[in-house]
Amino acid sequence: MWMAITEEWSAVNKEITRKDLTETLKTSGVETKRAAEQVTSADQGVRRPGQALTLSGGWLSAASQPDSQNEDQKHREKTFQKEKSVHDIDTHKHEHKDRGKSKERMRERFKSGERDGDKMRERERGKEHQREGDRERYQDKLQESSLEKERYHVPKDKDRESNRERDKKHKRHEIKQIDTQTNLKSFEERDKEHHRRRESRHHLEEEKTRSEERERRHTEKKDKDTKKSIDKFLAYKAEEGERVYKLQKDRELDKEGERRHREKKEYSVGPGKERFSKERSHKRYEKEEEEKHKLKRSKEGSSHGDREGTVRDKGKLIEKEERDTRQEEVKDTRIYNSDTGFDNFSANYEDDFEDYEDDFDDDEDKSGEERGAEENLREIPFSRTSEIEEIQRAISAENDRICTSLSKKIENVKKEPIMERQYPSVRNSSCGIFMDFQMANQRQSSRSMASKQKKRSSELLPLIDLDFSVSFSLLDLPPVNEYDMYIRNFGKMNTKQAYVQCNEDNLERDIQTEEVETLEKWTQHPGESALVSGGEEHFNRILLWTYASLTPKIDSQRLANFLRSACQVIAVLLEEDQVATQPRWKLRSRQTSLSISDSCFQLNTNQPFLHDRKISCLCVSQVQRQTLLSVHGLPEKAGVGLLHRKSIICVWNIWQPSSPQKVLICDSEVICCCFSPNKTTLVFAGTIDGSLLVWDLREDSRMHPHMMISETDWTFRVPTFSTDGILNSVNHTSPILAVEPVSTSLNTDQNYGLSSLSYQEEMSGPPFQIASMDENGILNMWVVVELQKVDLAGSQTDLGLIPGGKVKLVHSSAMELNNSLFPKDVRQRMPQTLTIKFLSSNPNHFIVGTNIGLVGHSTRHDLKVLPKLFRPQESGLRSISINTIDFFPFGKPLFLVGCSDGSIRLHQMTSEYPLMQWNDSTNGQPVIALQWALTRPSVFFVLDASSNIYIWDLLENDLLPVAKQTIPSENVVTMALLGEPEKTNGLLGLALAKESGEIDIQYVKEKWALPQPGESEKLHLLLLQSF
Amino acid sequence: RFKSSTVKECIHAILKEKLANVQYIPEEMPQLTESLSETIKDRLKEEGFDRYKMVVQVVIGEQRGEGVNMAARCFWDADTDSYAHDVFMNDSLFCVVAAFGCFYY
Repeated sequence: MWMAITEEWSAVNKEITRKDLTETLKTSGVETKRAAEQVTSADQGVRRPGQALTLSGGWLSAASQPDSQNEDQKHREKTFQKEKSVHDIDTHKHEHKDRGKSKERMRERFKSGERDGDKMRERERGKEHQREGDRERYQDKLQESSLEKERYHVPKDKDRESNRERDKKHKRHEIKQIDTQTNLKSFEERDKEHHRRRESRHHLEEEKTRSEERERRHTEKKDKDTKKSIDKFLAYKAEEGERVYKLQKDRELDKEGERRHREKKEYSVGPGKERFSKERSHKRYEKEEEEKHKLKRSKEGSSHGDREGTVRDKGKLIEKEERDTRQEEVKDTRIYNSDTGFDNFSANYEDDFEDYEDDFDDDEDKSGEERGAEENLREIPFSRTSEIEEIQRAISAENDRICTSLSKKIENVKKEPIMERQYPSVRNSSCGIFMDFQMANQRQSSRSMASKQKKRSSELLPLIDLDFSVSFSLLDLPPVNEYDMYIRNFGKMNTKQAYVQCNEDNLERDIQTEEVETLEKWTQHPGESALVSGGEEHFNRILLWTYASLTPKIDSQRLANFLRSACQVIAVLLEEDQVATQPRWKLRSRQTSLSISDSCFQLNTNQPFLHDRKISCLCVSQVQRQTLLSVHGLPEKAGVGLLHRKSIICVWNIWQPSSPQKVLICDSEVICCCFSPNKTTLVFAGTIDGSLLVWDLREDSRMHPHMMISETDWTFRVPTFSTDGILNSVNHTSPILAVEPVSTSLNTDQNYGLSSLSYQEEMSGPPFQIASMDENGILNMWVVVELQKVDLAGSQTDLGLIPGGKVKLVHSSAMELNNSLFPKDVRQRMPQTLTIKFLSSNPNHFIVGTNIGLVGHSTRHDLKVLPKLFRPQESGLRSISINTIDFFPFGKPLFLVGCSDGSIRLHQMTSEYPLMQWNDSTNGQPVIALQWALTRPSVFFVLDASSNIYIWDLLENDLLPVAKQTIPSENVVTMALLGEPEKTNGLLGLALAKESGEIDIQYVKEKWALPQPGESEKLHLLLLQSF
Repeated sequence: RFKSSTVKECIHAILKEKLANVQYIPEEMPQLTESLSETIKDRLKEEGFDRYKMVVQVVIGEQRGEGVNMAARCFWDADTDSYAHDVFMNDSLFCVVAAFGCFYY
C-alpha cells in the first residue's frame, strides 16, 4: 500500500509542479499588476503608519477624528486615485464580461482566479491601510509557518520597493488625470473598493490558513519532493529573476485556485459545475447590485458632503460587515469541508487535482484566445506604463511558449481524467503491480468459488428432479353464446326493448294477484290454562287436548242455570217496575180484593191464545213456590193454526204476572199436571187419552214452534217426551187422573247399588219417579231419565222423544190398585180411584181416594200396611167421592180429606177412623179443593163448588170455619196455595182459578198467615184431646 | 418458500388497483402489460422471496365473447418451485397474470 501511495505522491508532485508552472504563467499578468499595487499600498503603509491606524478606526468612526482631517483628506485622495486605476480594471473586467458571455463560464472561472488576485491585492492594500500591525503580524506568521515564504519575503519586499517606486510614478500620473473627476465618483469608487477589500480580506485569511496548513503538510510529508520542486523553482527563478517570487506566490495562488476548485467540486458534486458558476455569477450579480445600490445611496448622500458620506460609509460598512460575517459563515463551512478534504489528503488530493486538471484542460482549450483577449484588456491599463507593458509582453510570450508545450502534455492527460471520472478505481487498480496481485487474487478466489459451486451443483443435481408433473390451466374462458353477447351489448347501450303486435285485437290480458294469505288462530276465553291461544300448527293437537281436558271443565249447565235465574230476576224487577208505573193493575187488584185478603193481583191471562179456555188445574211447585202451572183446556170454538185443538199449560212466575214464563202445548186435554220434585225444570202432565207428557223447560226455544201473536214472539213448547209411543201393555188406556212425583231422595238406604247414577244429580237433582194413575186404578211408575247425548235426528227406539230432547220416561212398574188395595167386599162395589197422594216423609206409602168414601193405603212394593183403609166415622159404604186429599205439611202423618158430600175429615196415618170430621161446614156443597196453610199448622183453606172459601183455624175453632168468603162474580174452579213455609214474612197467597180463565192471587190476611208460637204443640194437644 | 396464496393476493391487489376501470384499447395494451409485469415483479420482490427467480407473465385480451383457454406447463422441481396466477376480468378485457417462482439452489 505504501508503495502505491508514495508512487502516487511523486506523480502528484510532478503534476503539481507542472500545474504550478502553468498557473504561474497564467496569473503572472495579474500578479504584476498586483505587485504594483502592493507597492503603492506598502508605500503608503510605510509612509503613514499612524495614519493607517487612525484610518482603520476611521473607517468605523471617521467623524470622530476631525483633527487629522487634512491628512485624511490627502490620504483619501491618494487612495481614490489608486482605486481609480483598480476601478478601471474592474470596468474593463465588466466590459470583458459583457463581451464574452458565451464563454462566460470558462472565463468566469479564470476570472475568479484573477479577481481573487485582485482582491488579494486590494485586501493586502486595505490591510496596509487599516491595520499595518496586523499585516506585519500576519507576515510574521507567514514567515514562521513557511520557510519558503520567508525566504521569498525579502526579495518580495525588495521587489515591492522597486515596484512601489514605479507604481508611485504611475499613480501620480493617474492622480493628475483623474483629478477632474467629481467627489461623488471618488466616493463611489471608494465604497466599491472598500467593499471589495472587505471581502477579499476574508478570502485571504482563509487562504492563508489553508496555505499554511498545506505548506506544513507539504513540508512534513514530502519535504524532499517539495524541496526538490522548490529547488527547481529556484533554478527557474535564477533564470527569470523576480518572477521566482511570483512563481512562488502564484503557487500559493495556484493552491488557492485549487482550493477554490475543490470548493467548486464540493458544490458540484450534486448539481455540477454549472450550478456553481451560476451561484458565482449570482453572487457577482448581488455584488453588482449592492454596488449599484450603494452608488445610488452615495449619490443621495453626496450633497451632504464628506462627513455624511463617511457616516454613510460607516453604515454601509456595518452592512458589509454583516454580510462578511455571513460570508464567513459560509466559508467556515467551506473550510471545514476543505479541512476534511485535507484529512483525507492522500485520497482526495489527487482526485481533486485531477479534477482540477480536467477543468483546467477545458480552460486551456480556449485559453489561447481568452488569453489574447485578456491581454488586450490588460494592455489598455498597462499601456500607460511602458514598463508594465514590457513585462506584460514578456509574460505573454512566455505564456504562449508554455501554453503550447503544456497543451500537448495536457492532451495526453486529458484522456485519463475522462476515464478517471468513470472508473476512478479501475484506473487505480489497473495501473500498478499491486493491482496485478489483486487481479490474481480475484482470479484465484473466483476459481475456487467456481470449483465450490461446481461441487455443490454436482451434489445437488442428483437430489433435484425436474419434471413436467403438472400442467396448470390458467384461464378457461368459455365462448359466450350469441344471446348473452347480444344482451351484454344491449345492456350497455342506452336502448329500450319494445314489442309491437300487429293483430291488436288479439291481445290477451291477464291479471295476477297475490294469493290472500290466511292463517288460523284461536283463542280461549276465559284463559283457564297456560295455553290460551295458538295457531294452525297446533290445531289438531289442541283439539285432542280440548276434548281430553277442557270439556269437563266447561260448566255450561251452571252457566245456563245462572243465566236462567238471572234472567228471571231481571224480568221480575222489570215487571215490578212496570206495575209501579201502571196504576191500572193496582186498581184492578183493589177491586178484586177480598175480605180475607190484604191485597190481590191477577195473572195476566188476557193473552190471545188463552181466550175462551177454561182452567182445569192449578199446580204449585213444591220447591219454588212462586212458580205456578195453569192448565187451560180446549177452547169452546175451534181455534186456528198451531193452537187448533191443543190444550195449553202456562208456567207462571207470580212475581211476573204480566205474562206466562213459558207456554206448553199438547194435543190432548190435560187433566192433571205436576212439577219435578226438586227443580222446576220438568213439567209432567197426564191427558185424557191416557198419555203421560213431559216438558223439559231447559230446552232451547228454537227447538219449538214460534208464533207471532200481537207483536210478541211466543214459543209454544211441545212435549219433550210422550208415553204415546210406549207399548200398550204398560201404558195407560184410560184418562190419567193424577200425576205425582215420587222423590227417592228420602229413601237413599234403598238406593244402594245405584250410586253410579249419582251423576244425574248434577242435571236435575236426585233421581225421582213419576206415578201416574188412571181411572182403571192402574198405577204406573216411571223413571225419569236424562239422556247424556242429544240426538238431533230423533231416536229410533224412543218414539215419544222429541228430536233433540234429553228427558224420557222409562216404565218402571205397574200396580193394579183395585185388586191390591181393596178387600173383596169392597171390591164388589166396584170402587174407582180418583186421587192419589204419596206420603212426603216416606214416598213408598201412598193413599188413594176413591168414589166410595174410602181412602186406601198401600205401598209401592205391596207391603202389608195398617190400616189398609181409612174410613169415615159413619159406617157403611156410600158413594162419596173423595175429591181432594192433603197431607199435613209440618211433619206429622196427618191428612185432610175433602169429600163430595161436603164433609171434611182429618185422619192420621195410624188409625182407620178420622180424628175429626166436619160434616156440614159447607152446607152440603161438595168440597173442590182443600189445602193446609203452608205457614201455619192449624189453618187450612177449603173451597167448595159454589165458590166459597172457608178458612179453618183449629186452634181458634175446631168445629166451624173461622172465616167464609164467597167469590162474588164467577165460579172458582180450583184453588192453590202459594207461600214459603221457611219464611215468616206472612205472605200466603191463594191462587184462584176462575171459570172464565182468570187467575187471581189473593194474599191472605196476616192473622192466618203469620205463625203463632207453640202452635204445633197446641195443635198436638188439641188432636190428642179429640182422639 | 414461494407461497401461492400471498403472491396471488399481491397480484390480485395490483390488478384491482390498476385495471379497475380500464377499457381495452389495443394501442395501449403492450405498454400496460409491460408496466403491470414490472410492478408485479417489483412487488413480489418486496415480498422477499430472496432465493427465487421470479417470472411474471401478463396476458391481457379483449373480451369479445370468444372462448379462451390458457394453460401452462412447467419443467421444474415441484418440491420447491411454484406458481400463482390470478385472473382479472371486467366487461371489456380479461387479464391473466401468472407468476412463477424458481428456486435458486
